[in-house]
Amino acid sequence: MEQLKALCELHGVSGREEAVRSYIIEKIKDKAEVKVDALGSIIAKVKGKKRAVKKVMADAHMDEVGFIVTYITSGGMLKFTAVGSISESVMLARRVVFSNGTVGVISTKPVHMLSADEKSKFPEEEALYIDIGAKSFEEASAKVGLGDCAVFDEPYEQLGDLVISKALDDRVGCWGLVDIINSDPEYDFYAVFSVMEEIGHGARTATFAVDPDYAVVLESTTAADIAGVPDDKKVCYVGKGAAALFMDRGTLYNKDLFDKVLETAKEKNIPCQVKSYVSGGNNAAGIHQTGDGVKTITLSVPCRYIHSASCVASVSDVKAVRDLAKAMIMKMASGEIE
Amino acid sequence: MSDLKQLLKELSEADGLGGILDALEVAEQHLKKYASVRREGNNLVGEMKGKSDYTVMLDAHIDQIGMVVTAIKKGFLRVANVGGIDRRMLAAMRVNIHGKRTVTGAFCSTPTHLGNVDKAKNIEDMYIDTGLGEKASEVISVGDRVTFRQSFSDLSGTCVTGKSLDNRAGCAALIRCAKTLSGKELPCNVVFLLSDAEEINGSGAKTRAFSVDPDEAVAVDVSFGNAPDIEPEKTGVLGDGAMLGVSPLLAKNVTDALKSAAVKSGAKFQYEVMGGKTATNADHIALTRQGVPTGLLSIPLRNMHTPVEVVDLADVESVATILSTYILSK
Repeated sequence: MEQLKALCELHGVSGREEAVRSYIIEKIKDKAEVKVDALGSIIAKVKGKKRAVKKVMADAHMDEVGFIVTYITSGGMLKFTAVGSISESVMLARRVVFSNGTVGVISTKPVHMLSADEKSKFPEEEALYIDIGAKSFEEASAKVGLGDCAVFDEPYEQLGDLVISKALDDRVGCWGLVDIINSDPEYDFYAVFSVMEEIGHGARTATFAVDPDYAVVLESTTAADIAGVPDDKKVCYVGKGAAALFMDRGTLYNKDLFDKVLETAKEKNIPCQVKSYVSGGNNAAGIHQTGDGVKTITLSVPCRYIHSASCVASVSDVKAVRDLAKAMIMKMASGEIE
Repeated sequence: MSDLKQLLKELSEADGLGGILDALEVAEQHLKKYASVRREGNNLVGEMKGKSDYTVMLDAHIDQIGMVVTAIKKGFLRVANVGGIDRRMLAAMRVNIHGKRTVTGAFCSTPTHLGNVDKAKNIEDMYIDTGLGEKASEVISVGDRVTFRQSFSDLSGTCVTGKSLDNRAGCAALIRCAKTLSGKELPCNVVFLLSDAEEINGSGAKTRAFSVDPDEAVAVDVSFGNAPDIEPEKTGVLGDGAMLGVSPLLAKNVTDALKSAAVKSGAKFQYEVMGGKTATNADHIALTRQGVPTGLLSIPLRNMHTPVEVVDLADVESVATILSTYILSK
């Protein structure tokens, strides 16, 4: 999984996806006609063995959640806000890194100095700051400017079938889509590697440009299959296959297509589970409402501790999403789905 | 400074908690180049002989905060803290679980769909995800130690960040002092004590101070560094040098000697005045046997008891310089 590791370790906060974009273009440029749209999304026209009957677009987003510097204090500390949704509960005492290599830490008052009330209360984001070790505004400004973005500075680790990384959301989707492009697909299709999903762009502009009949979103989604959570709130399970969505907070998915996903998984023997809780949202919300409408499905990699420095997913699920996405793209492109 | 950085990196990244002796091993490899070393329990004692029978003991605790496994439930662990831990930072934090082999784990983070996460849970109500499922019990047992999993890194200037800089920064200062003193004719015996269990009850310093039976002692630890959300009078400023402890509990003659050494050597220092106990090993050493005149030097450190502690290497160097000058001036 070297390519997944490489993808996860790249910096790509929403709107700053350059490194991820260059990496992906390098990996697909021999297999597809590649262009980059005005906002930075990659639109790749993938050549299959046969011409597609229906136009299919597959989407994975390149961006990840992170932090943007909003102010530098006279003492050299950086005030910031989150880009995308990051809970204060996973910010404290985390190390972050800027794309120029500058390392900082999200600082906290020592536990010894907290009042009884403070001990259990998460501080508001605006009370937090990043310490890069600078002792003055001038020293900090020489390294970091307003608008610069940082990501969690935690290594990618593989532990058996599990991987742990800051950016599994959604480099697992990017990995799958790159792999499909390079797998000698049966039919032509469009692959979109989109920008700014975490701030709600919804791949609208790329979808408008492609104008597909069908769309397949390769994503990651919250898995709450952890101790202490009741079964009906576990959402989906790490290691039990691709999660198929019938509804999330952005999309009520086409029922026939959803059924087709389950049928296809069975037919191809691809591990698949149904996401059993309605929460979250992804690019499907934007895609299915673009132009005159696009029939859309989402296949997600179950991911624990999503939007933190330590997202956890299973390699076998990452592969299941890739395999099921490919099978669905080809079925849609072949015209066999009405 | 790059030697010091490398030394502190090695010490920081090694673990030392309740019988895990990786950090002690690292310290031993360095200290034995300059002093005759031996282990006493989970403590490291290094000796350098001097011209007189007078013995000065320099102490830095080498243990770190962490956790201990209290229960295993289908691959998820319950833990209790060893030392003070800020429970607000634990969600999604990575840890090393010291089982039959070292396993990477992460604290479970409550997904937002499960409702209010405004309040941090008590540590005993949190779980650590081992990723091992039912197989966890084959590798991990109740009582196994758990430590923060964090590498060391440079920050701006001479600042660095890592886990366990409390008190590996102090250990590094002692080893630097030993290096400076090595090969020199010493006016007195010097004992370097890298002590265990400060974060629990100071038993390392208590028992070793008893066995070493020094004539005087200096404890080296970390103290609160300046930060925007802390009153300045409660902190030392990173980069402004060693914090010289002043307290009724500390011996005035030792404190004065440390101050003279700072002035003589030109090492930067700042005062840390306390009204009574110092919450360091100095409290224990001073009360050993019939009493040991004891001084205290501290290194200002930010984010104490987190995996992202921050110190300025220049302050570690200041402490080392003051200590070696103080010894040579006996």
